[in-house]
Amino acid sequence: MNEEDLPRPKWKRWLLNRFVLVPAVLVSVTVGWNLFVVTHDHGIVGGRVLDSTGAPVEGAEVKLWVFNFATFVVKASTTTGADGSFEFRNNPSHNIQVSAEKPGKGRSARVPIRLYFAAEDFVLKEPLRLTDGS
Amino acid sequence: MGKYPRWPIHLALIAACFVMLVPFYWVLKTSVSGENIFSYPPSVIPRDPNPFYYVDVWYAIPFARFFFNSVVVSAITITANVVLNAMAGYALTQTFRGKRVVLMLFLSCMMIPFQTTIIPAYLITGKLGLLDSYLGLALPMFSTIICIFVFKASFDAVPRSLIDAAKIDGLSEWKIIWMVMIPLAKSAMATNVILSFIWSWNNFMWPLIATRSADMQTLPLGLARFLSYQEDSTGALYAFCIMVLAPGILLFLLAQKEFVQGLTSGAAKG
Repeated sequence: MNEEDLPRPKWKRWLLNRFVLVPAVLVSVTVGWNLFVVTHDHGIVGGRVLDSTGAPVEGAEVKLWVFNFATFVVKASTTTGADGSFEFRNNPSHNIQVSAEKPGKGRSARVPIRLYFAAEDFVLKEPLRLTDGS
Repeated sequence: MGKYPRWPIHLALIAACFVMLVPFYWVLKTSVSGENIFSYPPSVIPRDPNPFYYVDVWYAIPFARFFFNSVVVSAITITANVVLNAMAGYALTQTFRGKRVVLMLFLSCMMIPFQTTIIPAYLITGKLGLLDSYLGLALPMFSTIICIFVFKASFDAVPRSLIDAAKIDGLSEWKIIWMVMIPLAKSAMATNVILSFIWSWNNFMWPLIATRSADMQTLPLGLARFLSYQEDSTGALYAFCIMVLAPGILLFLLAQKEFVQGLTSGAAKG
């Protein structure tokens, strides 16, 4: 008798069918995603600010803009360190913008940032560049 | 081997599939690209696809809560529909005085739109103390006449001799329904499950009236609330549509085999 001709055990028939496997996969993905979210939702947004020559800008004011129904409003601001880096630790949103400004050095464009979930930790890949400082 | 070539039928079926599936594809494409539906020339492949419209929907309204509410209400509706419609359908296969009147009453009730019965439904639900509850949201859809007739038609196809044999074996009417008739009526049951799920899932009017707290709202109400928040976002609107449609499509794909299963396969197991 061929192995394929043997009847499948009862537990296999109960567990290995699409009505169990599909929900099980969906639950697993949901649990995995939520674990990832819980470990990466500290609200940290970081980056650097450079001037038009590429040098780090110390003391530039960086603003965090948060989407609020119809428009972006300033949620927080911070100042860059000696190496031009900045960090926010209280971003509550998933749809934000950051901008930098320093008198005499100029200002950067507002950079939109879309996050996969609210308060996702994020570091800007491209630094904010100050222009038009004259 | 058939006498005629089959490719014309396949060609017609492919054309029909195309017509049916293009709107779904368009909704899906717009939900990941946010392109304006009036843009010209239209792009078939989404430009710069991203999942952020789905994220917007998730945070614009309490989506998880609304989803949970819809699932609970649909589960109650499906259970009640299968149980009550099967019993009613079986009763209508029996011979009793006034059967024609009952059938006529059922058929005439099908012509009354739900909107005209909203006030009595609201008053009855209120008297029962079920307003703003899951049971109250599902109550008016506990039984649907169309689904009763689906069961009746399915039960009518069962040979009378089988029911007589079950009675001779000592089965009660209750056991005949659940042990003889239901296994023979899997297609009717699948139809009941899918139809009651779709009607419950998409119901807007009754939840709008029967819910008082925002926590008890279902997904169609969430869509209305979402539109009032973000009426300018095409991508997010389409993403919301996909998120509402997905469970229904998934349920249909999971149960389509049972949906199309004939009575013969059920009879072999019964």
